[in-house]
Amino acid sequence: MIYAIRTLVGQEKNVARIIARNVKTSGIEVSSILVPESLKGYILIESSSKIDMQNPAFKVPHMKGIIDGEIPFDEVKTFLNPEPILASVKKGSIVELISGPFKGEKAKVIRIDESKENVVLELIEAAVPIPVTVNGDQIRLIQKEAD
Amino acid sequence: MVTKACTRCHRLMEEERCAVCNVTSSKNWSGFLIVMDPENSQIAEELNISLPGEYALRVR
Repeated sequence: MIYAIRTLVGQEKNVARIIARNVKTSGIEVSSILVPESLKGYILIESSSKIDMQNPAFKVPHMKGIIDGEIPFDEVKTFLNPEPILASVKKGSIVELISGPFKGEKAKVIRIDESKENVVLELIEAAVPIPVTVNGDQIRLIQKEAD
Repeated sequence: MVTKACTRCHRLMEEERCAVCNVTSSKNWSGFLIVMDPENSQIAEELNISLPGEYALRVR
């Protein structure tokens, strides 16, 4: 059975660690605690039996509340295997840089390094085309194929 | 101390090399999972985790 707990955004890992420590000392049956990166402000608690969320072990700082009801395991599966960032980006795609010194600039993908998850881009608005290598999580796809 | 993740088993540690797999660890990881009871955990089974501990979901 999987339950969700609402936490302060940015404090998910701390809450998970404190709960893990509390659970160990109080002997509640919790088999794992998951902090999905794509779900900000929530952590998921897995238990083999029904657990009482009102237990003092779940009263920790930065925790905002408990979501009623269980979460089906199929929904949790999507968080366990995050799809690669560069799965939809192709050579020739138009992307926007979302962080770094060129934030907000549009660029064209000229090469993809899948093992390092890097992309080599060419800024569209630059007067001289200069290849820029950035990390895969620094870009957002705008247009899949080149015209 | 920087937390690193093993590139093979995804276990989180502070050492340069994973004590279980003896491969180098990476600073570039995301997602966080604490496994306490791997035998009764569906999540641990899905990710083939057999040892309790802290894990990353994605390691580069």
